[in-house]
Amino acid sequence: MVFKSKNKNKLEIEHKNNLNDSNMYQDDTVIECRNLNLWYEESQALMDINMKFKRNEVTAIIGPSGCGKSTLLRCLNRMNDVIEGCRIEGEVLFQGENLYSKNADIRLNRKKIGMIFQKPNPFPMSVYDNITYGPKIHKIIDDKILTEITEKNLRRAVLWDEVRDRLDESAMGLSGGQQQRLCIARALAVEPEILLMDEPTASLDPIATQKIEELILELKKQWTMIIVTHNMQQAARISDYTGFMYLGKLIEFGNTEQIFENPNNQLTENYITGRFG
Amino acid sequence: MSTETTFENEVFIEDEDYSYLKKDRDKLIKIILFFIASIATIFVFLIIIFLFVIGGPFFTEVSLTEFLLGTNWLPSHGDFGALPIIVDTLLVTFGAIIIALPLGLMTAIFLAELAPPKLRKVLKFTIEILAGIPSIVFGFFGLVVLNIIIRDLFGLHHGNTWLSGSLILAIMALPTIVSVCEDSIRAVPDYYREASYAMGATKWQTIRKVVIPAGMSGITAALVLGIGRALGETMAMMLVIGNCKVFPEPLTNMFSCVAVITSTIGLGLGPTETGSIEWRSYFALGITLFIMTLMVNTIANVILNRIQRKFTGEKVKEKHVNLKESKIYSQVLKYRILLIALIISVFIAIILPDMISKVVGAIICIGLGLTFQMYTIVPKNQKKWILYGVILLFAGWVLSTWIGIFLTVIVIALIIGTRLIFKRISTVGQEKFWFIIVYLCSSFAVIAVGTLLYYIIANGIPVLIRIPGMEDSYRPNFLTASSMEGGILPAITGTIQLTLGSIAFALPLGMCAGIYLSEYARDNKVTKIIRSGIDNLNGTPSIVFALFGVVLFLVVFGLQKSLIAGMLTLGLMILPTIIRTTEEAVKAIPPSFREGSLALGSSKWQGISKIVLPAALPGIVTGAVLGMGRSAGETAPIMFTAVRTTSRYIITLSIFQPVMALTYHLYRLLTEALFSVEEAAGTALTLLLLVLILYGVAFVIRSRYEKRKQW
Repeated sequence: MVFKSKNKNKLEIEHKNNLNDSNMYQDDTVIECRNLNLWYEESQALMDINMKFKRNEVTAIIGPSGCGKSTLLRCLNRMNDVIEGCRIEGEVLFQGENLYSKNADIRLNRKKIGMIFQKPNPFPMSVYDNITYGPKIHKIIDDKILTEITEKNLRRAVLWDEVRDRLDESAMGLSGGQQQRLCIARALAVEPEILLMDEPTASLDPIATQKIEELILELKKQWTMIIVTHNMQQAARISDYTGFMYLGKLIEFGNTEQIFENPNNQLTENYITGRFG
Repeated sequence: MSTETTFENEVFIEDEDYSYLKKDRDKLIKIILFFIASIATIFVFLIIIFLFVIGGPFFTEVSLTEFLLGTNWLPSHGDFGALPIIVDTLLVTFGAIIIALPLGLMTAIFLAELAPPKLRKVLKFTIEILAGIPSIVFGFFGLVVLNIIIRDLFGLHHGNTWLSGSLILAIMALPTIVSVCEDSIRAVPDYYREASYAMGATKWQTIRKVVIPAGMSGITAALVLGIGRALGETMAMMLVIGNCKVFPEPLTNMFSCVAVITSTIGLGLGPTETGSIEWRSYFALGITLFIMTLMVNTIANVILNRIQRKFTGEKVKEKHVNLKESKIYSQVLKYRILLIALIISVFIAIILPDMISKVVGAIICIGLGLTFQMYTIVPKNQKKWILYGVILLFAGWVLSTWIGIFLTVIVIALIIGTRLIFKRISTVGQEKFWFIIVYLCSSFAVIAVGTLLYYIIANGIPVLIRIPGMEDSYRPNFLTASSMEGGILPAITGTIQLTLGSIAFALPLGMCAGIYLSEYARDNKVTKIIRSGIDNLNGTPSIVFALFGVVLFLVVFGLQKSLIAGMLTLGLMILPTIIRTTEEAVKAIPPSFREGSLALGSSKWQGISKIVLPAALPGIVTGAVLGMGRSAGETAPIMFTAVRTTSRYIITLSIFQPVMALTYHLYRLLTEALFSVEEAAGTALTLLLLVLILYGVAFVIRSRYEKRKQW
């Protein structure tokens, strides 16, 4: 019983933290890359990236295939650590602390920086188990709280009404779009502060894509989001800031409107007008 | 001009004669293939039929209840109570799995998730080859090393115990379990792991909560293979467990001498008179064993289907029960597990001999039933406590002597202790703890198999390689002398003859059947039955094939113990494997290859023979070489059909004469009252080299082929 109440407190504190977040930091910047360089074996994939991501805004990263945009995104929660032969120089500052410093807690940071992948990847378990996987990892074991978390996050991902009667069924039976929203709900269940999305609609049909985009605009009120996308219209529709990358370099970064309507760089203009890419 | 003339010279452009298309041999080939496939299938089903035809009449003289519930097995006195043997078989198998599954799974986790890639490659290759170690070699190791260790360690009169049987079966099943588990863990897509890491999970949390559940189908398959191997093992059991057809007393005594079905058949069938009731009783045992493996396979299929549904998200069809009309029925349905447990416990209480066993057995059974019943009702997160309960029950059961009570208390303390500690240490600390356990388990597995190899090599090499100055200590030329002079050359040639003969029989039949099944057979019920028949025979114990060989070749065809009977028995044993591997290899060729060929106007057979078969050949060859390895290492099927103990000739030229074989020679050496360990080790090492080289060749072919594969 002692443990349960402790967990409850922890959850409540976390909850309050999330609500108070906006008051806690003066600066708008949540996460920042400083002189970020990355090599896979010998080939350099990222070159001197400097970028600031703002609170409660959607930042889109666009660029042709192989320009390093997914790599950059994966740097932001250290998912590149899994890849062998990957070497990183430079800093990624999250809430003022370097993610790559020796005493940074990778797992805590990953909990705070959630990630959605290109292909919907629900675990082959029930819907309920998928959502509660993260909270269980982070030591919440009380059934009641877990059930609450499940409902809350499925509602956040606008999936509740569709799956409320099939929480015990396998998540693999959901449609592609539902699976992706489930993945979003699953990421939200550990109460992250930032959501990284790696081409979240690349494998979905237009209607499912539209639903995800609506969800992103809804989630923007509470979460900072960074989205890698192939689809320029999508970037224009949903993002506040856009960064254009080419061959591992950040070519241009600014207001979405400005990037799309009045780009400063010739390369950006060429890409946006469809002359290459 | 010159180009035009060359075109004119091309016959098939100018010549409008397409008559060659009418000489289409497609139909003929299809008929031939069908014919051969039928023969192969008939053989496969004959085994089942013969078993029942010979074993069936036994039950007209001895009632089924007497056979299944009688507690006294003494065929020469007309006592045919097989219950102790059946119970012992279950106990030994259970013990083996309890040891082998955790060890194997942990080793697989180490290989798939933790080991550096180079080490993984080497270990994986070694393990796959080790799966081919002949069972008689394990028997040798168990008899001369393990049994002695157990005897001295626990202060027993002899080491022929249930415990040593289970241990040797566990070591034997380890390579298979590790290899299958590792495959299934590696088949879990990386994006599951990424999703878990992205939420801040540790590696261990990811392995335990995502990777293992996702790889569950493979792990279940490994479990089934392990059980199958343990149930069907003959030679090692004949040597190791002592073969006392009694219940352990009390039932939990792991140091008691036991007998399993396979060893009873193996030891008993030889001296009996063909056609007598005694003789038939062993076939009845064979039927029992066959049904047991069939049940294991069926249950496994049900479980695998359920797991499969979890991945595809298919709904289970709910049985429609009208709750209002039959309230009692629904209650019965709800508590069915408990009810079944109650019935079984009453049964156990009646049949078991002594009081302690009765009480312990019944309580354990009710306890298990209650636990599993609770498991279906209790909400999700409480379930793991129930699982701990099951583990404790087992612990209590296995160890219900005073040492057992003591150990059980320690286990309880450990579980509670670790849980309390786990509450206080960090997740990373827990991860370290579990990784240490993984390392310990995998090193134990490696040490167990390594000790076996070391023992045989260390003792065998001095016999095989003559060290200068030591010539006198052994008979000259162990490898090249005939058996009269104390060498094993006749056994080597005999084994090679048997192996080649079996593959010469099985490969053409199996290939044709495999091609027919994958390319021509329509997907209807008959095909399904054939396929499941072949699959079941694939896992059928070799002793059952031995029984079949005895009936078909010695009784029906009236042959003597001879080379040909041995070849054919072995051939039949590997036939299902060859059919399946051919089918898989052919199926793995993408349909676009066939379509490409058909689109150019080829016949179906042309497409198959010119495009599909060459591409599938390495897969088929791998299967065939593995089959040869299995043939060379088997003892049971040739024990009654082909072997002799000594031979004057280096090569037996007549196929109607019995031959010597390495496996049987080793068995015979080990059953002599005073045997020379060196001679046995030399024979074992020769056999090991022969079989492992075959396995090595097969895996080299496979890995080369996989590297070259472009599609």
